[in-house]
Amino acid sequence: MKDYFELQLVMTNRKIKEAGVNPVLGYFLGLTAFILLSEYIFHKTEFAKYLVILACLSFQFRLSEKGRTDFLLSIYGDNLRNKIRVLENLIISSPFVLILVYRSLFPEAIILFSCSITIALFSFHSILNFTIPTPFSKSSFEFSVGFRNTFLMFPLVYALTAISIHVGNLNLGLFSMLLVFLVILSFYTKPDNEYYVWVHANTPKSFLKKKMMIATINSILLTTPIIIGLLFFYLAEYDLILLFLLISILLLWTMVLAKYSAFPSEISLQEGIIIALTLSFPPLVLLIIPYFYRKSIKNLKFILND
Amino acid sequence: MIKIKELSKNYGSNKVLKEINMEFSKGKVYGIVGENGAGKTTLFRCIAGLESYNGEIISDITPLKNHLGLLLTDPFFFSKITGKEYIRLLCKARNKENIDIEEKNIFDLPLNQYASTYSTGMKKKLAITAILLQENECFILDEPFNGVDIQSNIVLSEIILKLKELNKTVLISSHIFSTLSDTCDEIYLLRKGEQIKSVHKGNFKTLEQEMRENTIGNRIEKLEIK
Repeated sequence: MKDYFELQLVMTNRKIKEAGVNPVLGYFLGLTAFILLSEYIFHKTEFAKYLVILACLSFQFRLSEKGRTDFLLSIYGDNLRNKIRVLENLIISSPFVLILVYRSLFPEAIILFSCSITIALFSFHSILNFTIPTPFSKSSFEFSVGFRNTFLMFPLVYALTAISIHVGNLNLGLFSMLLVFLVILSFYTKPDNEYYVWVHANTPKSFLKKKMMIATINSILLTTPIIIGLLFFYLAEYDLILLFLLISILLLWTMVLAKYSAFPSEISLQEGIIIALTLSFPPLVLLIIPYFYRKSIKNLKFILND
Repeated sequence: MIKIKELSKNYGSNKVLKEINMEFSKGKVYGIVGENGAGKTTLFRCIAGLESYNGEIISDITPLKNHLGLLLTDPFFFSKITGKEYIRLLCKARNKENIDIEEKNIFDLPLNQYASTYSTGMKKKLAITAILLQENECFILDEPFNGVDIQSNIVLSEIILKLKELNKTVLISSHIFSTLSDTCDEIYLLRKGEQIKSVHKGNFKTLEQEMRENTIGNRIEKLEIK
């Protein structure tokens, strides 16, 4: 078991190094970003505790993927596999539990702790036997794949919008719109396989334009129920709602461009920090978008043979 | 026509391709053979523009990559994309819209299932279907016959001959010599990144014999199988 965790540590350090950061500094920056982000969300919303729990559980569900747990079973056997999984989940959950304890949210911390142990003892199929229908099957793979991975989020977010209208809380409605955009941003976190960029008969400029256009149209499609609902019930605040939508689209463009500015690698820690700063201070997009755009054009020139 | 002049490729100090000179004409099928690590895939990646290199690759079709159907040895598929969506994605990338994908499903693939759940052979057939529907001028097929069932291999050989008839340029690598001798006009032999020889159709038998002798040698005796 010790070998397994040592190997995980080596792999994690390797990933951090590949991002161009010293591992020790990487852990320090990661921890700082985690603390600052949790401070930020607890400051911004009363639903922060749910976000913390959801974020932690989503990591743990990924670790419980059937293929992965079967692989562990084939190597270590049933007993040791369960011990490894429990320990993994406890390591993952510890910063989240500590944040909840620090906020004196003891029942939530206990629930998260118990869930972490329970989830570790189960495995889940990440690929269902049936094809989840998507409205984006004709447009782009980011949205087809992303939607299928996160489709359960959308009814919940739309329900949140309905609650915001019911209780007369516009901020909650805007928060639900933000949640949709955060989910969409997650569609763009992984780099494309080089073949899927190479295959396009486009210049880097037209390629990026196409990607940004698709991202904009599809994200508007996903937020339409929220926008219509909010505009209908809070028409007087239409300027605020549309401004919020505009900022969200600009943040989405930032993410799309950040992905290709790092291509073919993953978005590095430095770029991640830039995105996080932009999320917390949106006017930065005016500087960041041209920066990522130029970098993306430079990166795509070779593979798109421009 | 594609002309390769003095093409070399290094990965650090490791020379994987050494001064390659080849010429591929329209309406011909070319085979590239060699052991694992001989440089076949790297050569294909250089022609496709996926790798930087020293030397020259000249083509009368510019840019070549926009008219090139590339089948990789191990095509990549996203985890939740259906076969139909994959074909549509690749066709749209080459501005080919409104194709009746179901109608052109000659390998009878379950197009509405996730491509990642397909078997190795089915994945290859899907990728081949997609690049054929892109209506390319040149084709690079890296191990197209690997993992594909016998019936589909026959169909595939016929497709390659059809492409030749349509005046397309086709480059194939394969470890199954018979598939190459059935379809190719010329075969290039690579060994450790070097171009050893090129052989025309009439001399394929001799090449196969030479490769057998060279590859097998006394290796099997060394095993002392009892």
